[in-house]
Amino acid sequence: MTDSALATNPAQAAAASAVAPKLTVRDLHFYYNGFHALKGIAMDIPEKKVTAIIGPSGCGKSTLLRIFNRIYAIYPKLEAKGEITLDGENILDPRYSMNRLRSKVGMVFQKPVPFPMTIFENVAYGIRHHEKLSKADMSDRVEKALRSAALWDEVKDKLKNNALGLSGGQQQRLCIARAIALKPEVLLLDEPTSALDPIATSRIEQLVEELKSEFTIVIVTHNMQQAARVSDLTAFMYMGELIEFDVTEKIFTKPGKKQTEDYITGRFG
Amino acid sequence: MSGSGKDHIIKSYDDELTRLTGEIVRMGELAVSQLEAALDVVERRDERAAQRVVGNDDAIDQLEQEISHDVVRLLALRAPMAGDLRNVFAALRIAADIERIGDYAANVAKRSIPLSMVAPVGPVGGLEHLAELAANEVREVLHAYRDRDAERAYQVWKDDVVLDEAYTGYFRQLLTYMMEDPRNITPCTHLLFMAKNIERIGDHATNIAENVWFQVTGEPLNKQRSKGDFTSNPEMTKLGE
Amino acid sequence: MSSLYLRRRITNWLAMGLSTLATLIGLAFLAWILWETLRQGISALHLSLFTKITANGADGGLANAMVGSLIINFIGIAIATPIGVMAGMWLAEYANRTKLGESIRFLNDILLSAPSIVMGLFVYTIIVLPSTAITNGSTTFSGFAGGVALALIALPVIVRTTDEMLRLVPSTLREAALSLGVPQWKLTMQILIRAARSGIITGVLLALARISGETAPLLFTAFGNNYMALNPIDKMSSLPQIIYQYANDPGADLHAMAWAGAFVVTMFVLLLSLASRLLFSRNKVSHD
Repeated sequence: MTDSALATNPAQAAAASAVAPKLTVRDLHFYYNGFHALKGIAMDIPEKKVTAIIGPSGCGKSTLLRIFNRIYAIYPKLEAKGEITLDGENILDPRYSMNRLRSKVGMVFQKPVPFPMTIFENVAYGIRHHEKLSKADMSDRVEKALRSAALWDEVKDKLKNNALGLSGGQQQRLCIARAIALKPEVLLLDEPTSALDPIATSRIEQLVEELKSEFTIVIVTHNMQQAARVSDLTAFMYMGELIEFDVTEKIFTKPGKKQTEDYITGRFG
Repeated sequence: MSGSGKDHIIKSYDDELTRLTGEIVRMGELAVSQLEAALDVVERRDERAAQRVVGNDDAIDQLEQEISHDVVRLLALRAPMAGDLRNVFAALRIAADIERIGDYAANVAKRSIPLSMVAPVGPVGGLEHLAELAANEVREVLHAYRDRDAERAYQVWKDDVVLDEAYTGYFRQLLTYMMEDPRNITPCTHLLFMAKNIERIGDHATNIAENVWFQVTGEPLNKQRSKGDFTSNPEMTKLGE
Repeated sequence: MSSLYLRRRITNWLAMGLSTLATLIGLAFLAWILWETLRQGISALHLSLFTKITANGADGGLANAMVGSLIINFIGIAIATPIGVMAGMWLAEYANRTKLGESIRFLNDILLSAPSIVMGLFVYTIIVLPSTAITNGSTTFSGFAGGVALALIALPVIVRTTDEMLRLVPSTLREAALSLGVPQWKLTMQILIRAARSGIITGVLLALARISGETAPLLFTAFGNNYMALNPIDKMSSLPQIIYQYANDPGADLHAMAWAGAFVVTMFVLLLSLASRLLFSRNKVSHD
């Protein structure tokens, strides 16, 4: 059952990009109400690169992403077995503090979900939980996060407005600002543009491009073109297994596995 | 179509790719028959037929236009990936090579006109041999393309050396003729250019072979190959002295 | 036009006509009730209704009943809101999809449909009787007891709406907050409550509307008082209870006052409903 995971050399992709792995996944299994959703995943996610995870619905790509910050743990009857190390420490170890993990691994979701607060508070809220900052420092931090998320110019005059008044694309960038305000090391993006129009999508993609100099980014996407556009490495998953993980260019021009080729050329079925 | 045996989920995508392959093969066959027709008019010394061959080149150019158009449309509308992408990319490049082959064939036909104005010279038969080799090469590589047969394409690529050597030999022969009798210089110069054209056709066939290889394997074809054309070698000129 | 389209059009007209008729019947009854209460009570609707007390009978007003109603309703809502909101939060956020949560939700629904007089009798047993015994009869029925009875009626409404409103908040909002490392209690108290705020307030207003018309539970608890009572440990009068009492009286003057009281209560409930409507539509949190 771990055949294909073993067949894909986890170090190969990282080696190809010549960067030390930030996250290493080893023999990861996931059970959902007894259903074996991930079957022995092994991969090395390199630092300050964009890694895309693609695959058909239900292949386990979102599940995998949701293990990286253990957000799955808020629901009952879900269980992850195996090892994921972040800078050498196993984050699946219950002794790894949730607070610490989530300040290091930020996440942005499919639908933009701003908190029902002002734009400023949306960004400040998470920071406040982790750090005590003076008013001036907080303003700086919020501005910096909004600038990094390429949203500052659009909202600087209405920081006190309710965040729900922003457009979908702006809301999503606000969510990215909220996540990066905590200065995480890893940023998880779960289909971040699936609810956005093409222009807003391009803005987010451009943002991803800019953010990768600071963060290790893992993006799950249904849109193969998007994976091709934004990522350095691409992982293809199918039925809970990691079929192929390699440099994006290679995946999209010369995939090594027939299953990958069939999927990305639209021959699945 | 390419690497994978499965069809696309979107049927019309398959139809378009199949059509593209069909167009390439048709264009290639047209180029081969142009080459054969050109040789035929050289032998028959038929000026009107030669003009016809030159005129027929438009059909090949037309096909190339169609293929370019189809390729652009496929790229824009289907955003092909992986094997499909290589397939479409190779089609574009192969079409360009075939278009050049057509041009060379037409050029051979065109040169047959001044050649037919003068008295026949001995070595015309050698040209025929060259053309046969070249036509075979093109036919072979087209089969390899149609069947996505990288090995067969590689064979063509490797065997081009035979044509190159034949060309070198013919070149030498023509030189001898010209040295023998200065009156042979005009027809032999034409024959020399025609032979060079045919040799170039072989080179384009190897280009096609490289593209077939890339399309099928995803790798460039960069194995070592011996060169059979020594005509640009300084030693060669000495040979004539 | 083909017969198929003709048939469809006729069906359409028929369905539309019937539903319009049904709506009109419903609205007609509402207008009729308002009109009747106004018509019958108009003779008693003057300033003294709001200034004089019931002790003067037909020459008096309903001031003590109105004040009593306000105090008792306030006590009821003041008790039911914090408990109800917290219980709703617990159901939606902590006990959602657990056996315990599901059974409590079920019990709450039963409580929601329990006859209100049962609440009155229950509070009579647990508050009125013991307080009579402890104070040797000096404190028996009381506004407070009435408030508790109304709280018991309002409670399941508030629990239910809070629970529903919180569960309507998309789970991604929870995940987004938790993924920032925010703990569950902060998430519930600072984010979810805000997201569901207008819904919860609406629930409270609806509960208030529901209890302001209750008569039965007050008969055994607040009892009634012909004089102005402001201390909640005293017997207290309330509008529904006075309406009930005056409507049973043979005097036509008192009937008119009962109608006037009914008009005031109806208007109060109507305004509350409108207020909750406005609140909900204005602050609607859109997460679609």
